[in-house]
Amino acid sequence: MPILVIEDEPKTGDYLQRGLAESGFAIRLARNGRDGLALAFEGEIELIVLDVMLPRMDGWQVLEALRANPATAQIPVLFLTARDEVQDRVRGLELGADDYLVKPFAFAELVARIRTLLRRGPVREDALIRIGDMEIDVFRRRVRRGAVTIALTAQEFGLLHLLAQREGQVLSRSLIASHVWDMNFDSDTNVIDAAVRRLRRKIDDPFEQKLIHTRRGMGYVCQAQPAATA
Amino acid sequence: MTGRLRHSLALRIGAMFVLVVVLAAAGLATYLYRAFVAEIERRDDLQLLGKLRQVQILLGRPGAAGLLHTRPDFFRDTMSGQENSLVRFVAANGTVLADINAAGERYPVPPSAGPAPQRASIASWTSRAGDPGRAVAGSARLDNGRLTVVVARVYGERSAMFARYRVRIAAAAAVSALGAALLAALLLLRGLRPLRVVAEHAALVRPGTLAQRLEVEDAPSELRPLIDAFNAMLARLQEGYARLSGFSADLAHEFRTPVANLLGQSQVMLAQPRTAADYEGLIASNIEELERLARMIDSMLFLARAGQDEVVLARQPREALEELRKMADFFESMAEERALRMTCAGDGTVLADPALLRRALANLLSNAVRHAAAGSTIELRARQYAGGTELSVCNDGVPVAPAHLTHLFERFYRADSARSDAQGSTGLGLSIVRAIMDLHGGTAAVHADGAHIRFTLAFPER
Repeated sequence: MPILVIEDEPKTGDYLQRGLAESGFAIRLARNGRDGLALAFEGEIELIVLDVMLPRMDGWQVLEALRANPATAQIPVLFLTARDEVQDRVRGLELGADDYLVKPFAFAELVARIRTLLRRGPVREDALIRIGDMEIDVFRRRVRRGAVTIALTAQEFGLLHLLAQREGQVLSRSLIASHVWDMNFDSDTNVIDAAVRRLRRKIDDPFEQKLIHTRRGMGYVCQAQPAATA
Repeated sequence: MTGRLRHSLALRIGAMFVLVVVLAAAGLATYLYRAFVAEIERRDDLQLLGKLRQVQILLGRPGAAGLLHTRPDFFRDTMSGQENSLVRFVAANGTVLADINAAGERYPVPPSAGPAPQRASIASWTSRAGDPGRAVAGSARLDNGRLTVVVARVYGERSAMFARYRVRIAAAAAVSALGAALLAALLLLRGLRPLRVVAEHAALVRPGTLAQRLEVEDAPSELRPLIDAFNAMLARLQEGYARLSGFSADLAHEFRTPVANLLGQSQVMLAQPRTAADYEGLIASNIEELERLARMIDSMLFLARAGQDEVVLARQPREALEELRKMADFFESMAEERALRMTCAGDGTVLADPALLRRALANLLSNAVRHAAAGSTIELRARQYAGGTELSVCNDGVPVAPAHLTHLFERFYRADSARSDAQGSTGLGLSIVRAIMDLHGGTAAVHADGAHIRFTLAFPER
């Protein structure tokens, strides 16, 4: 089922449509609140990405209308706002939004949030994760590549586990900081880069096949296939 | 009118002043009138008693009894010669021996008060014409017998005089009250002129004229506190305004570099056909610049909100050492790359918003890891003091001149311009630290001893 994006800003609408489509989602795009609501009422919508500042009918009104209609009341809504005011966030969540992002946001962050809302994000809860020749024993906190056992610090293991659980997904630095260190603010990004470099020295450097890849300007991804861009 | 009264100081003070003057004038007039009346009455009474005394003396002379029978009015005439003097002689058995009473007045005969009556024995009565009268009776000897002498008087001209005096004194009081009111109005207008001057000056204050101050020299002493307070307010406004406009200028300046990079490198790249790798490189580079801009905007918004006290704190008690360890853990990889060691020590509980506490500590550590001498140790310490808990981050690095030290917490202030484009640095980190500490009612301080620099965050207990 498609994701409905309701966004009036032309460039934002375009890149959201393109980016989400390339991330494997089917997309419907509405350029204003009325059209968006009409599309939502037609049915078959899995999730709505809703901009708050919309002409004619603003995001709050759209959200209220969606929640008031039994057919659309259950659709998860992620709202986008340029105003990072506490009362805005509170209002959105009170009106029944499921999550929000403040503009400007990292695209990878948006994809990660959408995946979480759809519970589709291949977050692997397995006790044993295999990527390429790497084996992660989650409970014993042990990592092997082929026959070689790799000793990791708790921090390194946490980082690797996060990347491996979301195999193939690009994880932004802020998401990594938030999940591994519980640092929920835009911190010094070099910290994450340094942490990934250290992890790579143990996981990738001694081996032919690289598993952790940099997506420049986006973040990091863990996968067996060589990345399209290094 | 009540509205104007309430709002106009001059009217209010004027009205109160007039009221006071009227009351004072009325009081004074009443007092003067009463005193005047009492004095006149006293004098008249003494005269009346004097007359009685004269009659008594006359009666003591030889041959007085015959004279009383033949020429009774002699007594009256010798007394004062006034028509309105009444005299009556009453024998011990009640017989009226003589009654000098031309107008036929009826007046009460007071009981005899003996040979030497006092004022208290004088009785009041009213004449047929309605004028006040006074009468007194005393005893006298005549030949070998005793008789009672009654002396009375009507004070017709005195009532008229009192009436005239009343009118004049009332008129004088009214005129003086009116004059005082006019004078008060005039004085108030003059006296309140400094207030109008202050108002006129205040009306001229514009963002561009904040440097001007009101004159204190000529102002009356009552207005000086007001003018001083006003001038102090102007000074604060001027400072705040200067800081704001300086900040806006800095901000525009700081935005220029990333925007110039974005614009320049994109235009160069588009000028000729390039390989896909080139384009990718450009976009990635653009993203880095944009992330920097986004971080700056985020920091700016945070500072703006903190300055407006719009940040809501969710204070929780936190183990200080635990927070320091977490932070050290976060920065461990980065420190390792520069061969830095990090140590955590101390104890205490910090009452702070956890997210903001971490943000402040992260900004300090980010600086420390960047500027510490390679191979040195960064010390994180927690210490309880009377009234709160103190967290400090110390490192050895390039010495910072004392002149720079006090400015370190200012927005966009960089001690070393060569470091200005340190990756990821927005120049706002330390000002955010200070804003966070202000929000907590605490302080952020820096001390330097040669190459050793220590940042201290003091969180109060409440």
